[in-house]
Amino acid sequence: MDSAFGHLTVLGSSLVLLCGLTLLWRRGSAAHIGAFAAQSVALAATAGLIAVVTGSRELWVVAVILLGLKGILMPILLKRMDRRFGGPRELEPYVNTATSLVIGGLLVVLAYIVTWPILDVSRLPTRAGMPLAMGLIFVSLFVIISRKKALTQVIGFLALENGIALLAMLGTYGIPFIVEMGVFLDALMGFLVMQIVIYRIQETFESIDVEQLNRLSQ
Amino acid sequence: MPLPTGYTVAIAQTALALLLAPGLVGLIRWLKARLQNRRGAPVWQPYLELRKLFAKEVVVSSNASWLFRAAPFVVFASTVAVAFLVPVLAVPLPFDSVGDLLVVVYLLLLGTFFLALAGLDPGSAFGGMGSSREMTVAALSEPTVALAIFALALGAGSTNLGQIVARTMADPAAAVSPGYLLAFGALFVVTLAENGRLPVDNPATHLELTMIHEAMILEYSGRYLALIEWSAWLKVLLFFSLLGNLFVPWGVATVLTWAALGWALATLLAKLVVLAVALAVFETRVAKLRLFRVPELLAVSFVLAVLAITVSFLVR
Amino acid sequence: MTDLTLFTLMIGGYVGGALAACLFSRGALARWLAGVGAITGGAAALALGGGKLFDWSSASFTRIEVMGKTSIAGPLQGAGVVLIAHPLSALFLAIVGAIAIPAALYSIGYARDWEGRRSLRTPGVMLNLFLLSMSLVPLAESIFWFVLFWEGMAISSYLLVMTEADEPETVSAGNWYLGMTQFGLGFILAAFFLLLPPDGSGDFTALAKHAATLSPGLKSLVFVLALVGFGAKAGLVPLHVWLPSAHPAAPSHVSALMSGVMIKLGVYGVLLFGLRLLGGGPAWWGGLVLALGAVSALLGVLYALMEHDLKRLLAYHSIENIGIIFIGVGAGMMFLSYGLPALAVLGFVGGLYHTINHACFKGLLFLGAGSVLHATHTRNMEEMGGLIKRMPRTALFFLVGAAAISALPPLNGFVSEWVVFQALLGGATIPKREVAVLMPVAVAMLALASGLAAACFVKAFGITFLGIARSHEAEQAHEAPASMQVAMAALALACVVLGAAAYAMVPALARVVGGLAGLPPASAVTVGWSLGMPLSAPGAVGQISPLSILLGLVVLLAAIPMALWLFRASRALRVSDTWGCGRIAQTPRMQYTAAAFAEPLRRIFAALYRPTEDVSIDFHPESRYFVQSIAYRAHIIPWFERYLYDPVIDRVIAWAARVRAIQSGSLHAYLTYLVAALVIMLGLLMLWGS
Repeated sequence: MDSAFGHLTVLGSSLVLLCGLTLLWRRGSAAHIGAFAAQSVALAATAGLIAVVTGSRELWVVAVILLGLKGILMPILLKRMDRRFGGPRELEPYVNTATSLVIGGLLVVLAYIVTWPILDVSRLPTRAGMPLAMGLIFVSLFVIISRKKALTQVIGFLALENGIALLAMLGTYGIPFIVEMGVFLDALMGFLVMQIVIYRIQETFESIDVEQLNRLSQ
Repeated sequence: MPLPTGYTVAIAQTALALLLAPGLVGLIRWLKARLQNRRGAPVWQPYLELRKLFAKEVVVSSNASWLFRAAPFVVFASTVAVAFLVPVLAVPLPFDSVGDLLVVVYLLLLGTFFLALAGLDPGSAFGGMGSSREMTVAALSEPTVALAIFALALGAGSTNLGQIVARTMADPAAAVSPGYLLAFGALFVVTLAENGRLPVDNPATHLELTMIHEAMILEYSGRYLALIEWSAWLKVLLFFSLLGNLFVPWGVATVLTWAALGWALATLLAKLVVLAVALAVFETRVAKLRLFRVPELLAVSFVLAVLAITVSFLVR
Repeated sequence: MTDLTLFTLMIGGYVGGALAACLFSRGALARWLAGVGAITGGAAALALGGGKLFDWSSASFTRIEVMGKTSIAGPLQGAGVVLIAHPLSALFLAIVGAIAIPAALYSIGYARDWEGRRSLRTPGVMLNLFLLSMSLVPLAESIFWFVLFWEGMAISSYLLVMTEADEPETVSAGNWYLGMTQFGLGFILAAFFLLLPPDGSGDFTALAKHAATLSPGLKSLVFVLALVGFGAKAGLVPLHVWLPSAHPAAPSHVSALMSGVMIKLGVYGVLLFGLRLLGGGPAWWGGLVLALGAVSALLGVLYALMEHDLKRLLAYHSIENIGIIFIGVGAGMMFLSYGLPALAVLGFVGGLYHTINHACFKGLLFLGAGSVLHATHTRNMEEMGGLIKRMPRTALFFLVGAAAISALPPLNGFVSEWVVFQALLGGATIPKREVAVLMPVAVAMLALASGLAAACFVKAFGITFLGIARSHEAEQAHEAPASMQVAMAALALACVVLGAAAYAMVPALARVVGGLAGLPPASAVTVGWSLGMPLSAPGAVGQISPLSILLGLVVLLAAIPMALWLFRASRALRVSDTWGCGRIAQTPRMQYTAAAFAEPLRRIFAALYRPTEDVSIDFHPESRYFVQSIAYRAHIIPWFERYLYDPVIDRVIAWAARVRAIQSGSLHAYLTYLVAALVIMLGLLMLWGS
């Protein structure tokens, strides 16, 4: 773990996690989309780094797709969605910002506790970043639960995806190529479906506050 | 020329810090002015301010008590005491076993405590407001500082400053470890909060809606104000020295020879200039936060510190 | 002086004081004799206990059985009062004695107010009996005597709390206090009886021997029962609700004794069970204690911030400091179970050191608050202000106490918190990483609590003593009587000395826990005597020298004015009005109030407080543009009282109402009960006999 490679992967994973925590800190969709874009770029860089050191061509492809799809294309689509159904700049989340951040920190500690047994088993030099990837997964789940704006929840879901991809990369140097592509396609499909759903929510309620969905039961 | 002893170096480094502090703040102000397309006062303006203030008469409120007159001395004494403990030029100095990082933090809290009391003494609303806000910010930044100390002590095996510096110099790879970088980020935010810089507090304003530190010292004048301003500038320099010498310790003298000390002085000046530029750029870019957004910023620094510790645990 | 003479002197002092107060129930003689009796007793206790602590020569403690040794079979059997069975007892005896002296001295001046108005018999007698039972609790070595003195302490303190029983809130406070004490006693008795050996001896050595043979589950049950029982006395959350009402209701020297000494006996009880009787246990014991301590520390200070009753604020701070003590003790227990003896010693030393320090500065603060109450006849901070000019010496001593409790170097509060921090930092070396990573959480909570305590005491000292007087009484306040001032001065001096003398205190305290439950014996702890007498605690990751810090600050404070004079700085000074930004006159209403000072924190922690505000404005009858008066009320939710205690109390009252049905008032019903009970008892005897 003293190797430069280990340190750099941990650095990359920390940046990815920090971008995830920024989703809890900043308000406003522009900041969230920027954080997601930065996270995907950092993730692509980490993938590229691992690809360089291990010489895996598949990881190169994964890195490029991450950069293109999640780093460039999706933010553009998200910005377009925001412009169309942006609505009010921010909706009060269920949990206020400072408390969310403290809970985020505690979730990272929890992720560390949960992942520690795996660290004992794995032999890869990149294993030190796995708790951070797990932390990102928990934090993204928390973002999805605690935010009210549908767009933010979508970004949380995409960050969750990033977390899973990072965990796979650090734990086993990536998953088999075909599985990786399948996951990407799933994500893209899911994203398009969510676009349609948000459009319908906006049409029905004139806002994308997810609380409004309660009114459907009346 | 005979080699200097540890004690002379310690006293010399404190005197140096005292002498450089106004210049450092003058540099930050000048850089901010230039970045904002103004000419700005010259870099040595704070020295002229000190000279002016020491020569002026003090006006004391009729409601104030002996505490108002004693507080500037307590604040100055505690900040100078911290200057003896922080590794500005060389480690390890004889005073290294007198106080560690926790002592430094709590000595600074001693100064803040008395300054806050002095704000309440004249019975003005400004002072009360400044005291209340200052103690709130100080209390909320305590957990971050404690965790950052924890993160540094984890790596070095001690909270003594000399040990931390020595450990980083012995293991250069640790300096770029994510734990240290995250701790640096956390401490940078704490530096902003503790020294009353943007986005927590604006050192250049005197509007009641926007001041924290300035509101507490509004009643002070003459030599008292000079002492308080000087200790605030000294605090900035000491925080910069901590940030520079704990995280990038190369250049700090480990042997007490004239050559090593000269090199230490040069690297210290370089680090101070770099941090001054960084702070000036940062302050020009951000706007001041509302008071009730400041806890969010402090929560961010807290999370950074938590991450620093978690990552330090990983890399052990 | 031998131990026996000191002990006789102690008993004699207390009993003499009680008798004197009984005989001369009115007048100055009663005050003086009761006070002097208590002081003599306290001095003897301090000499007895303190002498043992710093007696480096004797390697082991010799047992002198003084009284009460019985050979009746059953729980009454066993040693009585023993001098001194264990250094732990010596430490707590010394604490009782040390705080008794200033408190008794203070009571001499304080009771002057009562002369002529009420009888001095009860306060005088009960004060001495209170001190007597508190001194004997650590010395008792069997169940019977321990519980006897424990109850004596509870009852005498209850009567002391009810001294000024004119206000209804005092009665309510007394009820809560008595209820919680008895509740705790039930748990303590249960814990003791579970530890009874088969032959029924109540002696502590027999209990310890029997405990070694018990199953781990049973031991854990005993520990939890003891923790609940002694935690109720100490004021651990959630058993703390009696503290904020009982301590303010009592006279100030009694509050000082209750807060400074009595709740520490709760700590003694937990240590007695955890270390001496049960001999350490699994890590979750320590973890539970640590967690409860951290929560108490944080909640205590958060509620203290919102108080504007000076004594209630101090009472909540006692809860906070008990939390800090239990953080140290819990950390020590955890390290003990993970096999890290050096760090365990550090944790216990931190907890015990903070016990001593808190007794000193909390005693000082309560005495100061009492002086303020004595002068202004109010406990409400919003009606004070500017007292530093009317009561300069009280203000100075209160400032020392406030600085000590805010953990400012070089005073004693800082040094003991430093030791606790070092113990927690050492927790990073716990082998179980999942547990080690929770240590930073405890560090963060402790740091936040100590920062908030500093904020709270800026408010307490600033609003009470600084600024302009906010009421007529505050304008007319007078300095406290001489005896009260001397008492406060002694405690203030103790705060400074206990901080600077850390190099001697830490080894002495390490010796107290040495030998318990597998901890290294005292001889393994060395004390360093080099420059500045650094405090290098065993196993610590740091080194400081509080004495050098004190000297350095004093030197600097003297050097700066000299330097200014040397460099010919201007010495002109002019007194004028406070700058008003153009307003014409200044009234006391224009200052910050206590509620205003705490408002940012009230908003930030609104999730905890759930504050509600109520503003009612009276407009001028002729025009809505002019305001006659504004009334502002702010409330915070008392979570524990409302959601934990009130439902339980309601349930108990409902049950009690049902049970009351058997009290029908009819003579025949009662006679029937008697006969039925007799018949049932005879039947059972026959059953068991066969």
